[in-house]
Amino acid sequence: MKLAVVDYAILAVYFGFVLGIGWRLRKKISTSGDFLTSGRSVPVWITSLAFLAANLGAQELVGMSGNGAKYGIMTAHFYWVGAVPAMIFVGLFMMPFYWGSRARSVPEYLKLRFDEKTRALNALSFAVMTIFSSGISMYALGLLLKLILGWSFTTSVVCSAAIVLAYTFLGGLRSAIYNEVLQFFLIVMGFSPLAIMAVMKAGGWSGMAARLQTMTLPGGLNGDVMTHSWKYVAHTNQNPLGIEVFGLVMGLGFVMSFGYWCTDFLVIQRAMAANSMSASRRTPVIAALPKMMMPFIVIVPGIAALALSRMAVGYALPMKNGGPDYDQVLTTLMAKFYPAGMLGVGLTGLMASFMSGMAGNVTAFNTVFTYDIYQTHIRPGRPDHHYLTVGRMTTVVGVALSIGTAYVAQYYNSINDLLQLVFSFVNAPLFGTFLLGMFWKRTTGHGAFTGLLSGTVAAALTHGCTLAEGKGGWIATIYQFPSPMAQNFWIAIMAWTTCFIVTILVSLATKARPETELHGLVYGLTELKHDEGVSWYKRPVPLAIAIAALALFLNFWFA
Amino acid sequence: MLDLRVPTGFFFTIVGLIVVGMGVFAPSERAALTDSNVNLYCGLVMLAFGLFMLGLSRFSKHEDS
Repeated sequence: MKLAVVDYAILAVYFGFVLGIGWRLRKKISTSGDFLTSGRSVPVWITSLAFLAANLGAQELVGMSGNGAKYGIMTAHFYWVGAVPAMIFVGLFMMPFYWGSRARSVPEYLKLRFDEKTRALNALSFAVMTIFSSGISMYALGLLLKLILGWSFTTSVVCSAAIVLAYTFLGGLRSAIYNEVLQFFLIVMGFSPLAIMAVMKAGGWSGMAARLQTMTLPGGLNGDVMTHSWKYVAHTNQNPLGIEVFGLVMGLGFVMSFGYWCTDFLVIQRAMAANSMSASRRTPVIAALPKMMMPFIVIVPGIAALALSRMAVGYALPMKNGGPDYDQVLTTLMAKFYPAGMLGVGLTGLMASFMSGMAGNVTAFNTVFTYDIYQTHIRPGRPDHHYLTVGRMTTVVGVALSIGTAYVAQYYNSINDLLQLVFSFVNAPLFGTFLLGMFWKRTTGHGAFTGLLSGTVAAALTHGCTLAEGKGGWIATIYQFPSPMAQNFWIAIMAWTTCFIVTILVSLATKARPETELHGLVYGLTELKHDEGVSWYKRPVPLAIAIAALALFLNFWFA
Repeated sequence: MLDLRVPTGFFFTIVGLIVVGMGVFAPSERAALTDSNVNLYCGLVMLAFGLFMLGLSRFSKHEDS
């Protein structure tokens, strides 16, 4: 792919605006709260789009279109089953405690609700996780730009990191959030024309479906599976994902997605920045609307690419080592459909998605480090401007560490897999802890801590005793999964169940905290304000019902 | 407080103008798989979105955003 002058001009305009927003917001910062939590004063449409964009990294754009070509519309389960219900749940039922408790971070909520050790466990694992995930996505971006544009790995990694650093250093969380919204619009503007053109060229949805029905996928499945999300989930051997309905709904739809959307500070931080309780509850709910539309921009082009590759129009799936290289589906489509000009917009959108993901990680990292690690364990009791300086320094250190991680990932590829695995062990049980903590006042700190640890161990044991495509089974192979995805779902289910049961048992055996200490932290002991007298779309519950109905409709329509 | 609709509006107006300009002055720029003037149409959409954002920020100055 070759860029023209105009493409570089668009990229330059974008960089100018991103830095300009950071520059304009620099004056608003006088306390550590302004910098790290944006003083809780951001309007709801901005927090909602940022909530979504912080999660929308370059890997998602590239990976999901690849998955579209590989697995078809079933990939949309990651949105319609694996995200929307959890986003509605966190908005309606959990934001009242996150926002209402006045905690500045998710680990801090754990401290208020349970104790210091539960917070420390969560803060440490989260801090390490954010650094590695931003490093790994930086690595992915560097690799992609090198491959398609021939840019040097170091140049693209260091330049994009420097820009993210500049605007988060200047304007803190508010600057990150504002830019995430601009980035979200750019992603939509840059990629929806591609989706529309690719689908039209492939004969529309029905044309694609008809064409795919005539093909046999690798593994002997009929191509009809590519355009149906629920028709082939009764058994693992019916679909290319190797999953069945229970693992899908329980593993992905419940444990994994609730574990991510309801406890990951990266996204929760955006909702916490909202300017009122009602706005913070509506943030994830409103974000669910564009979230459920994302498959049309990121997955459907991949399916169209597969259909196009079966037609004599001059498109072939990119190949690597004899098999299709799914990671390049999106960029090859761009090269085939975008002339100089729109190509620049699409590429800028790709850079934007990378930056929004990275800024999300960096701003979540500096808050957790400053408040939950530094202020709590290293230097407590300093004046606020001290923590503001620490917050800024942590931003620099966080970006530097991410760059380091990107290089580590470049040289030791297997480290990625190992880390992703460890994170999944740590993350899977978390939702059990939060669910019990928020809805059962009897839950104790010891219960939460032991539950979390044993859930993590259960995840590791499940991985050690099962095998999928040669992964896992480092203890013994008791069960063989048809696909790594099915294995992941079941690891999550085992971890969550263990955490849930152990937390209950240990809580019952230990002394509960007096109810007076739990006001604002637990359901039943918290005053929930009802917003009567405002129009329905400004109230969380009616909004959630409308959005849930739409998600249900999409599931049926593409079943 | 900075109204985000203003920079968003300006950004898409500028990018829209650049891309529309490509569509008008280099209408023969075509990608391999399309016959339509992609730059012109996409540019117009972005331009319209940018102006819409600017309009919103102008007509709701009294609101807090």
